[in-house]
Amino acid sequence: MATTLLEVQDLRTVFATKNGNVKAVDGVSFHLDAGETLGIVGESGCGKSVTAMSVIGLQRPGRIVGGRVLFMGRDLTKASETEMREIRGQEIAMIFQDPMTSLNPVFRTGWQVGEPLRLHRGVDGIRALAGAVAMLGKVGISSPAERAKSYPHQFSGGMRQRAMIAMGLTTTPKVLIADEPTTALDVTIQAQILDLLRQVNREFGTATILITHNLGVVAGMCERVMVMYAGKVVESGPTTDVFAHPKHPYTWSLLRSIPRLDAERHEALKPIEGLPPNLIDLPKGCAFHPRCPFKIEKCSRDTPVLNRVGATQLAACWVTQAGTELKGA
Amino acid sequence: MIDPGQAIATDLPAPAFEGDARRPAQSYWNESWERLRANRIGIVCGSLIVVLALIAIAAPLFTQFLTHVEPSQLDLDNTFKPPGGAHLLGTDELGRDTLTRLIYGGRVTLGVAFLTIALSLTLGTGVGLLAGYYGRWIDDLLMRFVDVVLAFPAIFLFILMAILFRPTPITLAAVIASVGWGGVARLVRGEVLSVKERDFILATRSIGARDVRLIVRHLLPNVLPVLIVAATLGVGQIILIEAALDFLGLGIQPPTASWGNMLTNSQSYFFHSTWLVYFPGITIFVTVLAANLFGNAVRDAFDPRLK
Repeated sequence: MATTLLEVQDLRTVFATKNGNVKAVDGVSFHLDAGETLGIVGESGCGKSVTAMSVIGLQRPGRIVGGRVLFMGRDLTKASETEMREIRGQEIAMIFQDPMTSLNPVFRTGWQVGEPLRLHRGVDGIRALAGAVAMLGKVGISSPAERAKSYPHQFSGGMRQRAMIAMGLTTTPKVLIADEPTTALDVTIQAQILDLLRQVNREFGTATILITHNLGVVAGMCERVMVMYAGKVVESGPTTDVFAHPKHPYTWSLLRSIPRLDAERHEALKPIEGLPPNLIDLPKGCAFHPRCPFKIEKCSRDTPVLNRVGATQLAACWVTQAGTELKGA
Repeated sequence: MIDPGQAIATDLPAPAFEGDARRPAQSYWNESWERLRANRIGIVCGSLIVVLALIAIAAPLFTQFLTHVEPSQLDLDNTFKPPGGAHLLGTDELGRDTLTRLIYGGRVTLGVAFLTIALSLTLGTGVGLLAGYYGRWIDDLLMRFVDVVLAFPAIFLFILMAILFRPTPITLAAVIASVGWGGVARLVRGEVLSVKERDFILATRSIGARDVRLIVRHLLPNVLPVLIVAATLGVGQIILIEAALDFLGLGIQPPTASWGNMLTNSQSYFFHSTWLVYFPGITIFVTVLAANLFGNAVRDAFDPRLK
């Protein structure tokens, strides 16, 4: 049994707005074991990124109003800002969606990649640069010593994302949170970056949380997957099981909405009808019930909780918890 | 356009994502400098300002070897001498050498201008960075204070200060800067508001950087371009303000020469000794014009928003 690095229990993050509190993360629980890759999927605005940001305490202007984030036994929601700075970039590193804007345009890339070393290891500029060059080489940037002297705008999108990954890895963190790392890249580069993340996971043993809305990415990368909807986890389990036998209608609809090459020409795409719910004013009962093709009367009345469905999966759905299989055209 | 001959002759390019490592690293500063150098009018005007500043710094050398008189040295036998001869630009009603006084006046005028810029940039940048970065009540507090400063009728402040203190270059610079920093603070705050939303600020925070580091190492260099532009465009304005204050008797007091108070003196003699008006007037005009043109060139070269 692998050791659990990170355990999130009933995390709640809200954003105060003029119209009321937005419950961006509403009772999310999950755990991350050493060396594994966990996928978090869901539509835009379902709370994936806020969950990740809450883990490292960067949810501002949101507020964590409940739950715990246990990192190697320590509750990060109670840690001071100074303690959090030590965790960030040293124990838990994060890479972001848009590599075009994630690097400061006025500094040489090598300087920035070495910044965590200067911040956390107290090394001087020359040794930080040497560390940065070594790491740039490891993430597959050719002639890293010369490229370290370049400015970010001289890098392509893929190279910048490599540089961001290198920056995250200089201090060999235990957890790497990748927030949509490939969304802004074109498909061939996406594959390279995903390969790199897989390689990092193998070589450094870095546990990875991969946030994405791309189910294909999850299938290729993650042992376990967690599906979020309207700030809640609706289903989680081993990737192969979740993809083969989804136990939540949302997962089922997501999988069905992927365009298929082997589909008949005239066959229409199958989108999920309707829109994600308003996070200020969630529908009563299951948040997905207005869009759910399987809904029963109970769904609009009581909120389902995450429970074991099948041998390996957890799902928050009255229908499948009652033993019904999700099938249909 | 693709040259067909060349396209056939060259081999396939290396994989695009590798980029070309041999291309020298072009920083934002290098590129801006290249753009500035290509602007001929800007370079001429910038050089003129530099030359004027050097002349002002080296004023004692000029008076010793060129004009051979001190700026306040009276020569009552040679009053109202027209330009030419021993006094290259003539003399005034007390026989003082106009060129010498212009050179020393430049010391005062340019000194006040640069000092004012330094003071208002320092204060304005500090306030703008804090207000923009921290936002919320700090922003409200600081920017409302800036609104008050900018709403204050500056001329009354100048008059009051001239009554309370005998204006010296340093107090004059402090007074002009005390109303000038507000605009800089607004400018910097606006820039910070846009820069701080960019992902690299979040990325830097995610590696555990403190606020001070974020502000000084990451935000400040990103607002530097607008600061440089504000500084160069400000020089001309401040020279005009300073000259106007001197002219009204609210600035540098005679016998210390400044470009502004040389004009005050000379207006009484305009009809028989026009050079006393022309030379300080032309000097102010040319300097301000050069400063503004140079400022425009710097803006074209540095302002990231124009790209």
